[in-house]
Amino acid sequence: MSEYAHPEVLVDTDWVKKNLGKPGIRLVEIDVDTKGYDAGHIPGAVGFNWETELQDQVNRDIISKENFEQLLSGAGISPDDTVVLYGDNNNWFAAYGFWLFKMYGHQDVRLMDGGRIKWLNEDDKELTIDKPAPTPSTYKVTSTDMDLRAHIPLVMEASKSSSFNLVDVRSPDEYTGKIIAPPGMNETAQRGGHIPSAKSIPWSLAVKEDATFKSADALAKLYFEQKGVDKNKDSIAYCRIGERSSHTWFVMKYLLGMPNVKNYDGSWTEYGNLVGAPIEKQA
Amino acid sequence: MDHRARVYNDVFEMLPSVENPSPLVRINRLCPSPEFTLYAKLEWMNPFGSVKDRAAWAMLCDLESRGELSDGRGLVEPTSGNTGISLAAMASARGHALRAVVPSGIPQEKKVLLKILGAELDVVSDELCPSPGMGDGSINLAKTHAKAQPKRFVMPNQYENELNVRAHLETTGPELWRQTEGQITHLFLSLGTCGTVTGAGRFLREKRPDIKIIAVQPSEGHDVPGLRNVQQLDSCELFDRSLIDEIIEIDYELAYARVLDLCREEGLLAGPSCGLIYEGARRVIENERRGFGVMIFPDSVFKYVSSLVKHIPELAVDGPA
Ligand SMILES: Cc1ncc(COP(=O)(O)O)c(C=O)c1O
Repeated sequence: MSEYAHPEVLVDTDWVKKNLGKPGIRLVEIDVDTKGYDAGHIPGAVGFNWETELQDQVNRDIISKENFEQLLSGAGISPDDTVVLYGDNNNWFAAYGFWLFKMYGHQDVRLMDGGRIKWLNEDDKELTIDKPAPTPSTYKVTSTDMDLRAHIPLVMEASKSSSFNLVDVRSPDEYTGKIIAPPGMNETAQRGGHIPSAKSIPWSLAVKEDATFKSADALAKLYFEQKGVDKNKDSIAYCRIGERSSHTWFVMKYLLGMPNVKNYDGSWTEYGNLVGAPIEKQA
Repeated sequence: MDHRARVYNDVFEMLPSVENPSPLVRINRLCPSPEFTLYAKLEWMNPFGSVKDRAAWAMLCDLESRGELSDGRGLVEPTSGNTGISLAAMASARGHALRAVVPSGIPQEKKVLLKILGAELDVVSDELCPSPGMGDGSINLAKTHAKAQPKRFVMPNQYENELNVRAHLETTGPELWRQTEGQITHLFLSLGTCGTVTGAGRFLREKRPDIKIIAVQPSEGHDVPGLRNVQQLDSCELFDRSLIDEIIEIDYELAYARVLDLCREEGLLAGPSCGLIYEGARRVIENERRGFGVMIFPDSVFKYVSSLVKHIPELAVDGPA
């Protein structure tokens, strides 16, 4: 059995329990529904709100470098801390946070495998409603890696050329255009369907029933053998607003070790609203 | 307490039992075969308005007797409405607090009722009948409250609590047997937590191995709170497939259409899950023609006025408020 390409970016719940409160190890919970953090979180974890804290509040964009520095300073995080992210919905927004941390050059960021639900359902793990009061730090970003992000011109190119893996991680009904967004989701698009030449590999195929990632072998079989992803090509993952695709981006880049993987965070809410953009749709 | 005079010392004495069963009412105009005797068991006649009085009472009494509700500790429970309403009323009257975690899609009436009864409410996006497991719905939010604040909350958890089954094994099942004088050949019901079917079904199967137990479930995408579609049944902790002879799937729009029939033809103020169960029973009776069946009617139409207007637009009322 082979290992993940970068096993160091994934920790399990027992590791987190063993390292609770250790200096230099910081926990951050990022949820789709931020009620979860307020109702109970891992002792010592701060909570980030993806809508108000990880997104620019005026332009449609990720937060600026300055806002990122402010956010991490407020949470008392230093550039050399080990940051462990976890959250609800199988770590969707935790993975989005991971992607953001990597773009702003944070060295040691990890995901807790299985997310908050795994922790919640283990009898030996505690939760608290006490919010930590961290001493603010002065966090400085020293390098960025914006190559982890795909913008529309590159997505258009990838759609037309055969030298990219373009991966649609949404549900099959969103891919075919039967629905535009999952029920109850606010952010939507004018049109349904998918980007021409994109392969459908729903994000959920990468996880087991207990919300942890499948083994390296199972993932390799799924992506390379069953779904025909070429492991040597550059890749772009997209979904609806970029959170589910962060999850798949994490799988392709860190668990499978593919060379150049980008997350297209504009995703369907950009592409499906773009005037004149070609769309493929099942009749 | 005297069930004949119907004079009670408190509302809890009205709870159903073999001595004080919920009523069976014969279906007359809507029964498709004269050789088939069809009754409805009106669970909305229970003091807190639904079949869930039974499980809620069993779980609450158990927690009280084990001292789990002392020192001001309250309850937290995921619910699609009825269990929460029963628990909220019982808990308030006995001095306990309840926090109810409900799926956003349940009718407004149920959410407001929970607040009227003094419950604190968390509304989350979830299936209309929450599933145990790894999802982030109402069950796991309720678990989070219970785990993060164990001094403040204990969670009865109807989805996994054996007492939900036992309540029906000790009340619904024996009531049905006695009320039908052992003549029952068909039991029609719908499955949510599966407490009703596993409890009452087990009792009746024991008494009469050849009884037909028929589950009537709504089609996928339905909005009947408390029920699962067929694909979701496997996630029921309390589900015992071996007790069920047949599962019928019905287009959920028919649940609402049949509510009007039951209200207008039989004078039964039945809710949507009753409409669904009736449609399933009707189909079976048209085929089999003879027998003696009972439908479990979980609750009445009052809590679903907004759902009915949504599905049957001509019910909307305009004019001055
Ligand atoms: C309206 C209604 N019908 C049917 C049921 C199903 O009963 P059970 O949960 O015992 O399977 C419920 C349960 O919540 C309900 O609320």
